[in-house]
Amino acid sequence: MEIKIRIDGVDHKAQAQMLKGTLWLHVNGRTLTMDAGTGQKSRKKSGAGGSSDTVVSPMPGKVTKILVNVGTEVAAGQAVLVMEAMKMEYTLKSEIAGTIASVGCEVGEQVVLGKTLVKITPKAE
Amino acid sequence: MAKLIKKFSRIAIANRGEVAVRIIKACEELGIETVLLHSEVDINSRAYRMATKTVCIGPAPTAESYLNIQANIDGALGAGAQAIHPGFGFLSENADFAEAVEKAGLTFIGPSAEAIRSLGDKVHCKELAKKAGLPLVPGYQGENQAVNNLIQEAERIGYPVIVKAAAGGGGRGMKLIKSSAEAAELIESAQREAQSAFGSPKVFLEKYLDRAKHIEFQIFGDSTGHVVHFFDRECSVQRRHQKIIEEATSPSLTDELRRKMGEAACAIATLGKYKGAGTVEFLLQDGEFYLLEVNTRLQVEHPVTEEVLGVDLVKMQILTAQGEFLHDPTHVRIPRGHSIECRIYAENPFMGGVPSTGLLGHVEWPEGPGRRYEYGFDSGDTITPFYDPMIAKVIVWDENRPRAIQKMIRVLKDSVVFGVHTNIPYLIEILSHKEFVMGTMTTRFIETYFADPIKEPEMTDVEKKIAAEAMVQLRGGAKATGGVTPVTNSPWASFWRGI
Repeated sequence: MEIKIRIDGVDHKAQAQMLKGTLWLHVNGRTLTMDAGTGQKSRKKSGAGGSSDTVVSPMPGKVTKILVNVGTEVAAGQAVLVMEAMKMEYTLKSEIAGTIASVGCEVGEQVVLGKTLVKITPKAE
Repeated sequence: MAKLIKKFSRIAIANRGEVAVRIIKACEELGIETVLLHSEVDINSRAYRMATKTVCIGPAPTAESYLNIQANIDGALGAGAQAIHPGFGFLSENADFAEAVEKAGLTFIGPSAEAIRSLGDKVHCKELAKKAGLPLVPGYQGENQAVNNLIQEAERIGYPVIVKAAAGGGGRGMKLIKSSAEAAELIESAQREAQSAFGSPKVFLEKYLDRAKHIEFQIFGDSTGHVVHFFDRECSVQRRHQKIIEEATSPSLTDELRRKMGEAACAIATLGKYKGAGTVEFLLQDGEFYLLEVNTRLQVEHPVTEEVLGVDLVKMQILTAQGEFLHDPTHVRIPRGHSIECRIYAENPFMGGVPSTGLLGHVEWPEGPGRRYEYGFDSGDTITPFYDPMIAKVIVWDENRPRAIQKMIRVLKDSVVFGVHTNIPYLIEILSHKEFVMGTMTTRFIETYFADPIKEPEMTDVEKKIAAEAMVQLRGGAKATGGVTPVTNSPWASFWRGI
């Protein structure tokens, strides 16, 4: 819907829509989103969330290759699995050095956004 | 001659999204019915709603639907079509498909299977170009596809080396190898992407030119095989070898270069006995040009050529397939003004471009002179994770390049897409970048200036107040009448304080 609002005597126009608890707002040539419940920007919801000892699916897509097994030692920045979404491959990497504690997906599996794919036990300092 | 003309009354479309819509519109104008050959998940799309008939050819994965040759042919035959338009991507450059279509008694709207084999296969094309004395980038195009052999060849060429899908395009199955350490991993990855996107794992290697511009020529062979070029496009703005912004004509060519490259483009197309629309791609570095590849199909960025030349390439393709299109030698085409296309990708620009999928909310493409929108989805449609993330193209035309850039920025700012994130903020930053404005960008422009995700600007106080008021109105609050609402102390305003 179109929102009209007067702030300090100036009229502003915006497009706004509520979609699944997220407010989408187009104002002054840009699109903003925020969580309608908390009023926080909602961008945290998508993408590479999670803590550094997990590798989380950054998007919905298919797991095409798993490069590690439980017990594999990985270095920080090492590729752990490959996903495909929208016909492009994305290599997911471990943020930390450590040992693979669990693998929560299979090759060929269609995974949702935010799914924990691999857990890593951090290397003792 | 008249006997050779066959009129189509119904054309099947072996594609989806915005290009399917583009083809349907061309058919409608020519008085031809359409059959959309679609996957199970693509029923929520404009093309599905616009086509005269629709035939489901399989489930979402491309291998079982859009890349399934027999399913496409059966669908077209069953619906009574006389011809198939393959669009771009999918089976558009698959010679086996073109051949199977013709064997089934249908017409393939595109070049012959033979022409696709000799020009579309990048390896054969290079051999042909070599024989014709056209300049090529050094590389390896051999049949030995063993990873070890490819690594050896890469070492011989010297890093950086680029690995590409022989049957592909559009950045899929294409990787840049910077050192021997990553060669094996990237070659295997390219082979898998090539298999998944084009049905063939064959790849080839090429020396990576590190300050080249991507310039391409639109060529068109008429019903008799007479080839002319429709001038050039520049597509140097690429990310992961996928074009983002294209324009016609290139700001980088002198008249002399334009003439030479146009001649080379026509020469290779003529050698390949080319009929219909195609594109000859070149790299241009330090005033020298190298033939890169020939795309034996309509190109995503064809609208910029249409805008500066006043032609309709899709209708021309259909008329050529009907056997009735001839170039008029007295008609001299001269580009007029400048046109730019921006590809709108469903992705989050603040998250490094991860795909964004979901239900499309409110969508608005603001009309005005010199603006054109090619899109495949309306509000209420779903953007699925199964296909290419390009959901729309925005094309502008203006008198000259600076005016066209200015117009594009305004148009992008006024475009509204809710429900999925788009690269629009990213495009606006690119269009405003000094090097793009000067027209000196190379294919490394994005990696040089836009390697990191762009930063999301903080909301201003005014925006926070607007958001708060929007929330009240959307929740059916007292002010939902649409009138101008003076806001003094909305309880919602406090939520954004200090964020």
